[in-house]
Amino acid sequence: MATMTGSSAAAGAKSFDIVATYNELLRSDPDLTMPIAAIEALVLLLTKEPSSTISETLDLLEKSTAHLKKAIPNPIGLSAGTDLFQRYLITTLQRPGQLGPAGDFKAIRTHLLSNGRLFIRRAKESREKIATFGRGFIRDGCTVLTNGGSRAVASLLQKAADDEGGPSAVRFRVIYVLSSFKNADEPSGEPEGMETVRALRAKGVPVSTIPESAVAYALGKTDMVIVGAEGVVENGGIVSRMGTYQIGLLAKAIGKPFYVVAESHKFVRLYPLGQYDLPINQHVIDFKSDDDITEQKEESATPNTNGNQQIELPLCDSVDFTPPYLISALITDSGVLTPSAVSEELIKIWF
Amino acid sequence: MPSTSVALTPGLASFLKSLNTNPIDTSIENLISLLKRRQIRHSRSCATATAYLLLRVVSACRTSDPVKLIERVQSVGRRLIAAQPREMVVGNIVRRVLGLIREEAEGDHDAEFALSEAGSESQPQTPRGFDDSSLPLDRDVLRPDADRAASRPPLTSMFSLLSHPVEDDSQPSTPGTQSPRGLPGHGPAKDVRAEVLEGINEITDELDQVDDQISSYALEHIHSNEIILTHTSSTTVQKFLLKAASKRKFTVIHAESFPNNHDATHATVSGNSPADDENLSFEAFQKPLIALGITVILIPDSAVFALMSRVNKVILGTHSVLANGGLVAAAGTRVIARAAKVHQTPVVVVSGVYKLSPVYPFDFDSLIEYGDASKVLPFEDGDLVDQIDVQNPLYDYVPAELVDLYITNLGGHAPSYLYRIVSDHYRKEDISF
Repeated sequence: MATMTGSSAAAGAKSFDIVATYNELLRSDPDLTMPIAAIEALVLLLTKEPSSTISETLDLLEKSTAHLKKAIPNPIGLSAGTDLFQRYLITTLQRPGQLGPAGDFKAIRTHLLSNGRLFIRRAKESREKIATFGRGFIRDGCTVLTNGGSRAVASLLQKAADDEGGPSAVRFRVIYVLSSFKNADEPSGEPEGMETVRALRAKGVPVSTIPESAVAYALGKTDMVIVGAEGVVENGGIVSRMGTYQIGLLAKAIGKPFYVVAESHKFVRLYPLGQYDLPINQHVIDFKSDDDITEQKEESATPNTNGNQQIELPLCDSVDFTPPYLISALITDSGVLTPSAVSEELIKIWF
Repeated sequence: MPSTSVALTPGLASFLKSLNTNPIDTSIENLISLLKRRQIRHSRSCATATAYLLLRVVSACRTSDPVKLIERVQSVGRRLIAAQPREMVVGNIVRRVLGLIREEAEGDHDAEFALSEAGSESQPQTPRGFDDSSLPLDRDVLRPDADRAASRPPLTSMFSLLSHPVEDDSQPSTPGTQSPRGLPGHGPAKDVRAEVLEGINEITDELDQVDDQISSYALEHIHSNEIILTHTSSTTVQKFLLKAASKRKFTVIHAESFPNNHDATHATVSGNSPADDENLSFEAFQKPLIALGITVILIPDSAVFALMSRVNKVILGTHSVLANGGLVAAAGTRVIARAAKVHQTPVVVVSGVYKLSPVYPFDFDSLIEYGDASKVLPFEDGDLVDQIDVQNPLYDYVPAELVDLYITNLGGHAPSYLYRIVSDHYRKEDISF
């Protein structure tokens, strides 16, 4: 990911490289989600680039956001953060009162700048909150199937296994679906989610790890499926780690409840009509003949440095779209929602 | 209020009668034991009893401080719910009363707030029910007044991530942050308690009228010469059908719901319903469907699937409706709903909004109540009873995907829309109190 920071900075962010900041934030704190990192990066941008008027600030934000989105191969998660931040600024500025037009624009600026760490803390707290809501779903003696490396799911499962914070620890089992892709971020190359598996086993939760091909086989022994999400889209569907869609389809076919755990700041204004309608450049299906392979070998010798083209998402980070009809409920920090409630949450902030 | 001079068997009528004479605490204990002993059991009766009890509790509470009122109602509500957790309407009514108090408490501040923001209005204030969701930021600021004062405002909107922290001292004079207790001269200006009492009276009125309101939609859903299948002796369903029968001719197939409700169902069909002290007198419907010239076919529950292919529409009553669109209804409902699904027959559920519970069904099994096993296998068959395990579940959980339409007193809704009605009727902070 470090290579893309070299791409030329857009006009909006002259000296301050928002892409590098965003990537650095994500790297420095493994608990940070993409939307929060994006918000943080924008707050830092406002610190570095002094702007005195509202429209100047909004213009700066818009340009940097566009630049950031272009530079990141999967902008769905971060666009949830940038959109939220932008809407928050606009709504707060429009709202009458101390911070409104009658008030001081500086007040809201100082609030944002001085509370940078607060947002991160709140985002982490919202994960705690989800865990409290979701605890009710995990009952004694049940078996949960999960996948991917979602921190919200991990914290939910760990909270359920913990003694503290509840009447007693739930005795449950976990079937963890491990991706067959090698994880580029891990030096050992172990698949995503192994950390959670170890943490759960340390808490005494029996965990079984299975490959993606065994999901249908394992679902018969499962009581419920709980997955995380990278973004929750307008119709209540989710964009999540590759393989989630097929787990959803299988769970539906076998009649097991399929729950999604996601913070409400991951709600994003996007309405994908299908798998191939996501604003991501990922080549999961790649048709090749022998000629193409030889051609590609030659091409890879000369690296492509075209700044305008969207960067391709590495295969291990590829995502798919799970449509809302497969989802039983979304466990968020604002309660347990049905998929159709997502659009309302979004409407609340946009209109 | 029924005024019978004879000693009544313990039930709703006797409870309501004693409510005005007994001290509050006796009444609370009285209702708790009635609920525990299942002497009050229909959803409507439980809701009515709860509403009238809370009316007394609030009117006896000699305070105008909304915080104290909320605490009082919460403590009573908790005890009632603990007495009979499966009667979800009790919790629903308590939550609605809590919501009323909060609304009145915040209404004071909203008025104050509106003054300060007059002139540059950006978000139009819609009437009650909608304003609390359309102004999430205002609510975040206002909540601490009515809510447990010390705690952080709960995160209700997506903006909560970014909004001002309460402990932030950079905003000492935002209009909404003054506590009602901080301004002693201001709080009692409007009598919160009187407004709340009026609100509770509206709830009891709603409980009285709900069946008539629902039945006003009947002609939109029942057409001439249709064959309707129903189940149990639900008053709501009967009124719905009666309303349609006044204008149209159709056929009703009535499953008898053995063994828990068959006597009542038979009585409903034949029209000679015994004096039911469980129901209030005005609820007893005068005429059965057959008197209006409707063909009613009484069938055993086992014949439902066989007849489903001829049925045009299934109309069901319910015990309670859950936030995800599923419902808890008399045992046998799920079989009917499933059979209807197989035959692609539309399933319509008629239910008052008061039955709609914000509870999410984490654990379906815990919602099911088990009844008297002797109804399945009488104790005269002592030899058998010794040797086999008899179970008599009273309720079924029906998942949302088996229901096509809900008709409430507010109109027809898709199951996926119920979450919206839930959020209009209950405050988030009251869902688990």
